[in-house]
Amino acid sequence: MAAQSEGGGKDDIKTHFVTREGSYKLMTHSEYSKPSRVAFNGQTNTPVKVSFVDVNDGTASPDRLCFNVGRELYVYVYKGVHKAVDLTKPIDKRIYKGTLPTCHDFNQHYFSPESVLLLVGFTAGQVQLIDPIKKEISKLYNEERLIDKTKVTCIKWIPSSLNQFLVSHSSGQMYLYNEELPCGQTPPNYQPFKQGDGFSVYTCKTKSTRNPMYRWVIGQGAINEFAFSPCSKYLAVVSQDGHLRVFQYSTMDLLGTMKSFFGGLLCVNWSPDGKYIVTGGEDDLVTVWSFHEKRVVCRGHGHRSWVNMVAFDPYTSIVCDETVSDVLGPDGEVLSGRTAPGVLTDGSNHISKPDLTGCSQDYTANNLPQQQPNGRHVSTSNHYSPSTLETSTTLNCISYRFGSVGQDTELCLWDLTEDILKQPYGKSRTSSVGLAGINSSSSQSLPRSNSLPSSQKSNSVASVVANDVSSNAYADGHAHPIQNAVMNASSKFATLSVSDRKDEKKEHKRNFSLAARNSEKSSVVKSNNVRPVDSAMKLYGTQACPRLDQVPILEPLVCKKVSHERLTSISFRNECIVTACQEGIILTWARPEKPRDGAE
Amino acid sequence: MGANASQLEKEIGSEQFPSNEHYFGLVNFGNTCYCNSVLQALYFCRPFREKVLQYKHQVKSLKKETLLTCLADLFYSVATQKKKVGTLAPKKFITRLRKENELFDNYMQQDAHEFLNYLLNTVADLLTAEKKGSQKTADTNCNLKPDPTWVHEIFQGTLTNETRCLNCETVSSKDEDFLDLSVDVEQNTSITHCLRGFSNTETLCSEHKYYCEVCCSKQEAQKRMRVKKLPQILALHLKRFKYMEHLNRYIKVSYRVVFPLELRLFNTSDDAFNPERLYDLVAVVVHCGSGPNRGHYISIVKSHGFWLLFDDDIVDKIDASQIEEFYGVPSDMHKTSSESGYILFYQSRDEMK
Repeated sequence: MAAQSEGGGKDDIKTHFVTREGSYKLMTHSEYSKPSRVAFNGQTNTPVKVSFVDVNDGTASPDRLCFNVGRELYVYVYKGVHKAVDLTKPIDKRIYKGTLPTCHDFNQHYFSPESVLLLVGFTAGQVQLIDPIKKEISKLYNEERLIDKTKVTCIKWIPSSLNQFLVSHSSGQMYLYNEELPCGQTPPNYQPFKQGDGFSVYTCKTKSTRNPMYRWVIGQGAINEFAFSPCSKYLAVVSQDGHLRVFQYSTMDLLGTMKSFFGGLLCVNWSPDGKYIVTGGEDDLVTVWSFHEKRVVCRGHGHRSWVNMVAFDPYTSIVCDETVSDVLGPDGEVLSGRTAPGVLTDGSNHISKPDLTGCSQDYTANNLPQQQPNGRHVSTSNHYSPSTLETSTTLNCISYRFGSVGQDTELCLWDLTEDILKQPYGKSRTSSVGLAGINSSSSQSLPRSNSLPSSQKSNSVASVVANDVSSNAYADGHAHPIQNAVMNASSKFATLSVSDRKDEKKEHKRNFSLAARNSEKSSVVKSNNVRPVDSAMKLYGTQACPRLDQVPILEPLVCKKVSHERLTSISFRNECIVTACQEGIILTWARPEKPRDGAE
Repeated sequence: MGANASQLEKEIGSEQFPSNEHYFGLVNFGNTCYCNSVLQALYFCRPFREKVLQYKHQVKSLKKETLLTCLADLFYSVATQKKKVGTLAPKKFITRLRKENELFDNYMQQDAHEFLNYLLNTVADLLTAEKKGSQKTADTNCNLKPDPTWVHEIFQGTLTNETRCLNCETVSSKDEDFLDLSVDVEQNTSITHCLRGFSNTETLCSEHKYYCEVCCSKQEAQKRMRVKKLPQILALHLKRFKYMEHLNRYIKVSYRVVFPLELRLFNTSDDAFNPERLYDLVAVVVHCGSGPNRGHYISIVKSHGFWLLFDDDIVDKIDASQIEEFYGVPSDMHKTSSESGYILFYQSRDEMK
């Protein structure tokens, strides 16, 4: 094809990249995909997701890997960075008709080398529970689509329970199932259980005997992803209405809200210590939100399109003892029993396995005071050469690493350091940071042009930036402490009187949700929801959705095109980073050999 | 057709069907889908529709026929139909268009963006001329810039063009108005990224040097264009037709460019009046096929919270999740042919009262 030389092909696809800790290399022998590759036609649009489980079988390859591509689902032994893949021998391979797998999750508590439990969600709303090793179990939930007809967007086992799981749908609803209960032959009858700002929860009238146990209705439009905090007490949910909502799972209380700069939020992840949440979305940004301060800490700009998945790297995030107490002091948090810096293996093993017994007690208790996530889950690591550290990093002992992948086919790695975390809200950034952010997409940006001594009107950018915060007409109205703004909004919604109802309904109609078809059926429920116009406009300029100049803009440490196709998944493993693309190719990136490579 | 219409009504449901709203397909008079798709998109840009209908009420039938009166008659005809769904023939409008501009006086496929430009500018000129005519006596100062018409109030924004001389470092800036922005497209990017690209810094050197008035000579300079005043309706044209010299013709670039339902601009100037505007996607003109002079245009529009697809005389309700089918093609395979977003209409939320 004549035109082929153009466009997509001009940027080389990277097979390695270098960070301060060293060089990451693509392991070509560790590439997973369908056993027989056919030319990709770009037609399947369900994102390819990857799930892992460590079955602890005593061999060098204890990990099992599951991925979906098109109408197929594969489970392989994941051989990591050292051994070559044998694609001809999947543990399990399933091909579905009429409905496509969209997401899956292994049970991380019930497993053995001979048996694992895998949940799979589908485009038509069904959920399947299978044992891909033993192949004996196969249960279907929502088989008749009486509970929800829309696509399953995210599915997770409840970390604090052995037989419950949570399923979110593009209808904007989320259901709690008990693995052992039937789904019934009739549509469920619901009764209100709990209601708050922008969400409501219902129970099935016969919840003791059938699924779903609970139905959550959250925001407007699809729920795109949800994630439990490492201590499993908190649940973060991101939606197409651009909101992140964080709940105390056991009490179903809304603890905090964030709004994207614009557009839907597509993905969410917790920092290993549970202090920060990172989201990615249709504003091409990654946004870091502080759980304790309830505010946006910074935004990251590096992607050239929507961000499909974000994940913290627990193995490269560092928290040093000396400065930790300083930072955590204001929160009244005491960390004890943590591993010393430099002990990689112990610290990191804790991360992937939350302390189940400790949390499950709390889980049953209602109205707990907001508890600190377990500090022990912070990994400590020093597996890079100190000589390559930037000076700022040696001074700041807190540094979180996270990664993101996007529809731009690029992988970005980010460092979240103490100087960013401690920057007070609303202070104007130094102009260099701001302009670097604005210009970073242009290769020959002109930072110098922005600090001109100029007699021309007010066109010197430096002076304008300095003025911007104070002179912006909207600054005074919105720049006040956010917590109050959010609280006021919520109390107002909560007390909407009957006479307000008519207006509300009218407005609701105008801003009918994205999944219009489905929400028609639940119009009663939807009328209780926050109106997107109001909340998006109201939150702008507050700590839940700061203006561009109110928080720092982070630049990626690494931003590399690693695929021809949109990237859909990223996970951080002890030895490697694993990425997946829409075409169904799973790549393994070996971490730097420690610590000698660092000096490059 | 009748079956289609009643099916649409059924699908929306009589309770859900918005009162005072009409969904009418437009008959194709031989490759006039470029025109139909733009007219439908404009009809669902509410501020524009309201002004056109107001115009219809203001000027009575005595008026000489213009493109604007034809447009007003067409919109009025849709808005006053007894039925809620159906089909109309925009015959008078097409005839007038062909009479007025020889570019459109044939049965070839035309560029929808060119037509949008022509239509908005013609309407604006007609309104300006009418204003002048009625104010002749009062307004003696003819040198002043004409008052903005409602076309300008709706679609016009301002760009500021900042140029920095690399010799004396002086920055000069010049403002220019726009009715829409044309942005370059890249594979697997977002409209947000394309807009950032629009405002990237460009270095003027060699034969493109810039005459600096402070240095009184041609100098190397850097320039960038950013948005200073954000319009009420932001029309974004994706430059999907590229001239290929070796082929001696235009080809279509079907790159996948995603566009969100909600948008803010990053490329605003530091002295922008209203940089915080939050936009909602209200209409998209989609090009289907492989080149500017072949293929087909359709449009998708948002009306009362749901999405409709207008394909000439056919109207369908679609789910918001189907919009992703119009982003373009992600890999190089079916590169030249696609159904891909070509003109995006974003409406500022504070105006959606």
